[in-house]
Amino acid sequence: MMATYIQVEFARHFRDGYNLVFALLLPAAMYILFGNIPSYTESDLGAGNVKFYLMISMAAYGAAVSTVSIAGTVATETMQGWGRQIAITKMPPAVFVGSKMIVAATVAGVSAAIVFALGALTGATVNESWIWGVSYLIILIGAMVFACYGIGVGMAFKSESALGLATGLMVFFAFFGNVFMPLEGTMLDIARFTPMFGYVALARYPLLKDIPEGTEMAPDPMWMMTTNLVLWAMIFAVFAVLATRRAKARQ
Amino acid sequence: MKTDAISLSTVKKTFVAKHAKVEAVKGINLQIAQGQIVALLGPNGAGKTTTVDMILGLTQPSAGTVQVLGQSPSQAISSGQVSAVLQTGGLLRDLTVQETVKVIGTMHGRADRVREVMERTGLTKIAKRRVGKCSGGEQQRIKFALALLPDPDVLILDEPTAGMDVMARRDFWQTMRAEATGGRTIIFATHYLEEAQAFAERTVLMSQGRIVADGATEELRHLINGRSISATFSSEADAQQALGFDESIVLTEQQGLRYHFQCTDSDQFALALLQQYRGQDIEISSPSLEDAFIQLTKDAS
Repeated sequence: MMATYIQVEFARHFRDGYNLVFALLLPAAMYILFGNIPSYTESDLGAGNVKFYLMISMAAYGAAVSTVSIAGTVATETMQGWGRQIAITKMPPAVFVGSKMIVAATVAGVSAAIVFALGALTGATVNESWIWGVSYLIILIGAMVFACYGIGVGMAFKSESALGLATGLMVFFAFFGNVFMPLEGTMLDIARFTPMFGYVALARYPLLKDIPEGTEMAPDPMWMMTTNLVLWAMIFAVFAVLATRRAKARQ
Repeated sequence: MKTDAISLSTVKKTFVAKHAKVEAVKGINLQIAQGQIVALLGPNGAGKTTTVDMILGLTQPSAGTVQVLGQSPSQAISSGQVSAVLQTGGLLRDLTVQETVKVIGTMHGRADRVREVMERTGLTKIAKRRVGKCSGGEQQRIKFALALLPDPDVLILDEPTAGMDVMARRDFWQTMRAEATGGRTIIFATHYLEEAQAFAERTVLMSQGRIVADGATEELRHLINGRSISATFSSEADAQQALGFDESIVLTEQQGLRYHFQCTDSDQFALALLQQYRGQDIEISSPSLEDAFIQLTKDAS
């Protein structure tokens, strides 16, 4: 049941390539641009180099955006009455949600993998090889937090352009979340409260963990990163539930 | 005795909108025996779709109980004994016709029926087309195919011919007739009187959340009392006499010596018109379902 559904979902997203191009290729292009043109990217940073740092940043951004755009389709599908159609079959709603999560995680995984592969090919290095795997996993798991955000925005505004807005806002979150370039001063203080901050900081932690506190680029304390991620996960989950309830009540 | 296909007892549904409560269904009782073909007739806003949603378990009633083949709606759905053509939407525009039928077939656990159902509903020709590119009539046919996938005992159709042109509508009912065999119970909501008249043995008339009439479709037409009868008289005096035939006679229209009446016992009155009052060109007509409908919904409000 689930396998067929997932298969058709993939066929569908590939046919409608527009969304996927943004999710898969944009982060890769940005990595190439920011990670390879400036001269400083070969310099050492933490357990690796600046390229590795930028690779994580772009992969995290790509994975989160992919998750938002796939999860958001739940909302456009609900608007088309697909949820009602499924509700009168044997398939439990959990399988529907589960299938979506698998598709979202796969696309996010592929998106991040492309950036990681480009990183490996262009000289992103780290001296402890386990950091590759752990960073990748943190990126993938953390990206799922943004699924609720995508569903919430879709349900709240009930239109396909809202989904475009949701992914567009991700650029904003990424900028203010210290994802694209290191922020300083007041900007950094504000950044600590924005949704992508904890996520990307945790993904970078394996790379930066040995930089002593107080020096430049030192990681934030663990509690700060996890609190940010957990709180935003909860906010997005509540938002998704409320928006869905409101959308259903109006049907 | 067999269990009823559908049994609703004192079912109510109240929606809480922003500032007001909307009573979509105000307490209805309805028993539908297995194998019956029933039309749920009513204007927009009568509560038909809400009723259908409750039968399918898509909405929970605020009060009362709903049973489908003696079980709860969700049990009946998960056993594949009941399925439906939903009114609005229900299809993904970017899937192909074939993908849609295949996916829903798998969800019903009946992937084996995909090919057969597509053939029977005439979808094989457009299998590769995207749903969004199909006409309204074709989309309704796709939804009909989806409803047939589980080979249901009870088939519910909510405005199945909405958006179809006359030809498509006729084709649809032809396919429908072929599916209405083997003791299948069919309930369809419609606001087309002709569809109820042509296809349903029983019609349940809904208006403003209530059932205002329920009976054999034929009987329902008789529900507003009597028939219209018209005749041409040779003199004014004969006409005046005819008016006194019994107290049910009402004069509805007069054009010269052509008189239009309404009466309860049209047979006896016609006989008297011919024999006693020397009436000519007698015409008897039963009111259309539309007349019955207007009268009944007027009575209910």
